[in-house]
Amino acid sequence: MFQKLEGVSIACVSSCVPKNIKDNSSFSELLSPKELRIFEKTVGIKERRHAENHITAGDLGYEAAIQIFDHYKVSKDDIGGVVFLSQTADYKIPFTSNIIQHKLGLPRDILCLDINAGCAGFVQGLGTAFSILKTIPGKKILFIVAETLSKIISEEDRATSMLFGDGASACLLESTEDKNEVSYFNYFSDGAHYDAIMIPDGGYRSPATEKSFIVNEDEKGNKKSQMNLSMDGPRVFDFTLREVAVSIEQILEESGEKKEEIDYFLFHQSNQFIIGQISAKLGIPSEKVRINIDRFGNTSGVSIPLLITTFADSLSGKKILCSGYGSGLNWGNCIINLSETKLLPLKEI
Amino acid sequence: MTKAEFLEGLNEELEFDTPLEFESDIKGHEEWDSMGAMILIGYVSSKTGITLTGEDIQNLKDVNSLIEKVGTDKFQ
Repeated sequence: MFQKLEGVSIACVSSCVPKNIKDNSSFSELLSPKELRIFEKTVGIKERRHAENHITAGDLGYEAAIQIFDHYKVSKDDIGGVVFLSQTADYKIPFTSNIIQHKLGLPRDILCLDINAGCAGFVQGLGTAFSILKTIPGKKILFIVAETLSKIISEEDRATSMLFGDGASACLLESTEDKNEVSYFNYFSDGAHYDAIMIPDGGYRSPATEKSFIVNEDEKGNKKSQMNLSMDGPRVFDFTLREVAVSIEQILEESGEKKEEIDYFLFHQSNQFIIGQISAKLGIPSEKVRINIDRFGNTSGVSIPLLITTFADSLSGKKILCSGYGSGLNWGNCIINLSETKLLPLKEI
Repeated sequence: MTKAEFLEGLNEELEFDTPLEFESDIKGHEEWDSMGAMILIGYVSSKTGITLTGEDIQNLKDVNSLIEKVGTDKFQ
């Protein structure tokens, strides 16, 4: 699906990550020194942030959001909606967006909406929030992406344990009078591969039982339970190399935007090698790509707005193409303008 | 690029303790894993412009079969 949205923009972006840094030496029992070196060379992750037990995705999202109210002139009464996107929400019921609405002191005359989406979540959520914003003149929307993936991985599973990090970003979205302010989105899904990235038990298709928590070991020595995140790495890897570059060519063609006119390309930070492969396929020079996977690992839907804030100096005022891909399987892209966007410094809690 | 140069470069990238030979079973190598697959795909792509798929990797046997997949016309 292709979407063109006029007269909406991101006014402000902030991000928050846990203070707790977990570097690769923490995994020395899982990988040999040589394997660790090759992991750093290919995947590119040197460290990631893991939230302490008492810190939730809602907490990180709240801290990112409060930054905006502290540093950007906006009235809370003008907020017409809170969209909270996460796969690690605070509760199954209720929505985390409701909790954040109350904690932030936002009005009750508001739409609170949670979205369960993964690594393509920033694109999916931003397009959804922009679409809502178009229908509520005079109001603004707070779009929050937050994840604590460290809480759902098995530390003894080489396929996932070293990849994921925690963090959150908040974006204040507003309408503009400027009709030339145009954003483009495209979205793709292939539910045939719903099980490529999943937590098998704990939902209502396969409710949690005692067996769900039993740790099993596979032929490679990876240990995890049915309540941990499981990822079919080669299948996901194959999918990204096959689909992502093509979908980016499509959004460029449908929008009429030229690749050369995009200032920066921000790819979901899944894997440095994959980012390099996609960039090479598209002929994008490395100086137009931003990478922070070395510092934060894969933070799912948070990774793109976290890139925006960590590279605020170079991205401020620029036209960017964002590309997300992951669980679902879902993938999608957007072309947005940061010309009027205030980018706040990274917060740690 | 000769086939020997291709193999030498592949071994440098993979860093296996026991280097591959033309008849070596790539996926049967004791150090083969998903990172190895990534390195292999990246190496083949950078040297030949061909992106191997998951299915290609699945069907891979020895280095000779990899060279056949890539296309013998790519080599001197």
